[in-house]
Amino acid sequence: MNTVLKCNKMTMRFGGLTAVNEFSVEIPEKEIFGLIGPNGAGKTTVFNMITGNLQPTSGMIYFYDKPIVGLKPYQIVSLGMARTFQNIRLFTNLSVLENVLTGFHHKLKYNLFDTILRMPKFSKNEKIMVDMAMELLESVNLKDKADFKASELPYGDRRKVEIARALATGPKMLLLDEPAAGMNPQETLSLMYFIEEIREKFDLTVLLIEHDMKFVMSLCKRIAVLDHGVKIAEGKPEEVQKNPDVIRAYLGDINA
Amino acid sequence: MKRNQILTIGSIVLLFLFIGYANGHLNAYYIRILNNTAIFLMFAASYNLINGVTGQFSLEPNGFAAIGAYTAAILTLTPAQKEAMFIITPMVPWLQHIHMSFFPALIVAGIVTAMVGFILGFPVFRVRGDYLAIVTLGFGLTIRVVSNNTMSITNGPLGLKGIANYTNLWWSWGFAIAAMIVIMRLINSEFGRAMKAIRDDEDAAIAMGINTFKIKMIAFVTSAFFEGIAGGLLAHLITTISPTLFTFFLTFNLLIIIVIGGLGSMTGTAIATVLVVWGSEWLRIVEQPMHIFSLTIPGIPGMRMVIFSILLIIIMIFAREGIMGQKEFSWDSLFKLFKTKKVANK
Repeated sequence: MNTVLKCNKMTMRFGGLTAVNEFSVEIPEKEIFGLIGPNGAGKTTVFNMITGNLQPTSGMIYFYDKPIVGLKPYQIVSLGMARTFQNIRLFTNLSVLENVLTGFHHKLKYNLFDTILRMPKFSKNEKIMVDMAMELLESVNLKDKADFKASELPYGDRRKVEIARALATGPKMLLLDEPAAGMNPQETLSLMYFIEEIREKFDLTVLLIEHDMKFVMSLCKRIAVLDHGVKIAEGKPEEVQKNPDVIRAYLGDINA
Repeated sequence: MKRNQILTIGSIVLLFLFIGYANGHLNAYYIRILNNTAIFLMFAASYNLINGVTGQFSLEPNGFAAIGAYTAAILTLTPAQKEAMFIITPMVPWLQHIHMSFFPALIVAGIVTAMVGFILGFPVFRVRGDYLAIVTLGFGLTIRVVSNNTMSITNGPLGLKGIANYTNLWWSWGFAIAAMIVIMRLINSEFGRAMKAIRDDEDAAIAMGINTFKIKMIAFVTSAFFEGIAGGLLAHLITTISPTLFTFFLTFNLLIIIVIGGLGSMTGTAIATVLVVWGSEWLRIVEQPMHIFSLTIPGIPGMRMVIFSILLIIIMIFAREGIMGQKEFSWDSLFKLFKTKKVANK
């Protein structure tokens, strides 16, 4: 089994505060890996370091054996890593279709001159991109809403558009930051099937942060638990659930 | 698709037919206003590309206009004229002897301004939001101070006089239409979508694999190029330029235009340009002495700016989106409008 993502003693310090301390993890191909932990544990910081939004103070990150520390976020995207945000961040004034189209940006096949002179290359590639985007929207059941403005969609659909937009970048790995946040139980359940479905369809490796325990426990094969920036447990969901350190982190010390 | 293209070409032809008519039949005053309209359209559309479409609130067009105007003017002035004009400090020799005809001079003006924009872009796009506005405002002010003090290039506060009156309706509208076409084509492409994506959420745009620096730079340099040419056209319309022409007021006027029209809408920019340029001519009444019943109000120069400022405040309070918001005119939407009206009539 290939290792998709390998973090080696990744550390992030903000001044005197150590947000993440020597975090190491290895995620094999096709796995759905969960990252959990109490509020402020440093989960999103881990995400931001992997996607290149933050440069780790020390430590290494490998994506398919290629070191990615120091690369710009858009370079990491073109290597095949896509993310979604904790609070959905769609381009609200663009249509659903245009939102998805931006995902093809890093593979753009025409240049400025083709654009200004409207060369055949331009219209040909525009059409190909629109067709691909529509196909992608069809696979997430949003084809009929392609011309809606992103801000006009209900919450659950926005999350789907955000995932579809991430899929448009052609990722091998998908990083989902609290995908089920703010969803009701039914929406959460359908999202769970949805993530499983796209993982099959697009051969994805998934790393997700989530607070909904039922969601994480039933979706993820393995879980890492983060508390105060330190990884306190890693393993199968049922093992992690019983780990006394994890229980302490979430519920506090019984003897305290 | 085909129908829309024919309609677009048809309306451009109509516009030029009108210009042909205007050239021969209208008096100099109206021709001047039409020229101003075209030049301001070019300024405002380029300014809206960076401010409205890409969402990078910047305040530099007066600087770019100055660079374009000075470059074009220096290139079209004859060596003899330059020698006569630079009385305090003689002009640097290589600029003294250079001479070009109008069209290449304008293109060079555009390219020089675009190059300045490119260099300026590196420090400027290190910052976002308010800081960007302040840095670019500083650039605009700097250009004015520099043009005031580089006596051997710009003739300092004496300015340049006797610039040939080359700008006519054909040149100004030709360039304005060309600029609009290029900008619209840029907007209706993946580059334009990326610009709008940066406007809506820069971090998300980065996460989508967009090289935001490159996209901002494309918008900024394009904007600088056309503002440079518009500056050149302006110089050859008013025939006399000096640093005082390119104060922050120019930027402020353009800002009013793009805010009234709608940040991010070129259609809105076009409508607002006409409103503001023609409106400010019409509003000259308020600067003349007035007699209301027995009351005599002396003419107050600058009263027009007060009215425009009040207008801007009213827009910011009641109609923040401007005339068009971010919407664009399209033939399809026009036909749709007619169709729904017909249905409503039934």
